[in-house]
Amino acid sequence: MIDEQQLIDAAKAGSAEAFADLVKRYRVRLLRFLLTRCASFADAEDALQDTLIAAYRYLHSYDSRWRFSTWLYRIAIRNAQKIRSENIVELGDLSDEESDPLLQCIVASESENLWVSARRVLNDDVFAATWLRYAEDMSINDISKALDRSASWTKVNLLRARKALGSELNRQSSGSEAYG
Amino acid sequence: MDKLAKQLRADAALIDVQVSDELERRITASLHGLSPEGQEPPTIRQRPAAFWWASSLTGVAAALIVIAVINSQSRLDEAPTRAPEISPIAVLTTPIIDWKTESAMLTSPLRKELEDLQADIKKAEQKVKEDIGL
Repeated sequence: MIDEQQLIDAAKAGSAEAFADLVKRYRVRLLRFLLTRCASFADAEDALQDTLIAAYRYLHSYDSRWRFSTWLYRIAIRNAQKIRSENIVELGDLSDEESDPLLQCIVASESENLWVSARRVLNDDVFAATWLRYAEDMSINDISKALDRSASWTKVNLLRARKALGSELNRQSSGSEAYG
Repeated sequence: MDKLAKQLRADAALIDVQVSDELERRITASLHGLSPEGQEPPTIRQRPAAFWWASSLTGVAAALIVIAVINSQSRLDEAPTRAPEISPIAVLTTPIIDWKTESAMLTSPLRKELEDLQADIKKAEQKVKEDIGL
């Protein structure tokens, strides 16, 4: 298997195939994240396409001291914000399965998916930090870089997010026990 | 890993998405139409030395021709310059005053002449007053 750095070098030299191989492992993960940040599946797909195009175009500016995934997520977060600013539909307005692309893609489970709760109770940047921490296993340092925030901001807001989501989880648990 | 972290990870995995074939095609097509910025420019093909000389001489010859044509054109275009004519308007608009003057005949010292002239003026004034009845 070709090393990630080799693929980056080949892509920097102009190989679109090497870049396609490089981002293949991140596409689904990025799309899943973008789906939580966009008002429609089409918007999430557009954001993914824009992210990959921007990454390829500006690959020369990629600093190898960063993890490649951190760099990609940083571009993806910006693209999601840009697409959302152009869209009149707010994420908070999406309440049913017909209009909410995230709800459409969630495999049915007994309780509400915590990411749906997170989207409701956390603001954009805190949601993104929480996602990168718990869905992507990123370090505090990498999350700070991806969000262009300080490490202390990331720590404090992850703590707040944990507190808010912990309450949601307890509420769900007590609700299911009451009905059970 | 605590309960919340486990639940968040499990719930993220429950979000089932796939990159569709159409999106795959769109992305591939977009990437093939692009080239990364900052990429090294393609190397310039080496041309024979004679080509350089020929192009340089052609350039110099063309420049000389252009200079010669411009010079000959400017000579043809040149016409003798004429001094601007003075407009008669200034002369016509100035009123001509017919001063009736006489040169003074100085026969005595200057002081005496002045006194005589002042006396003449007084006499003239007196005569004018008499004429107009004052």
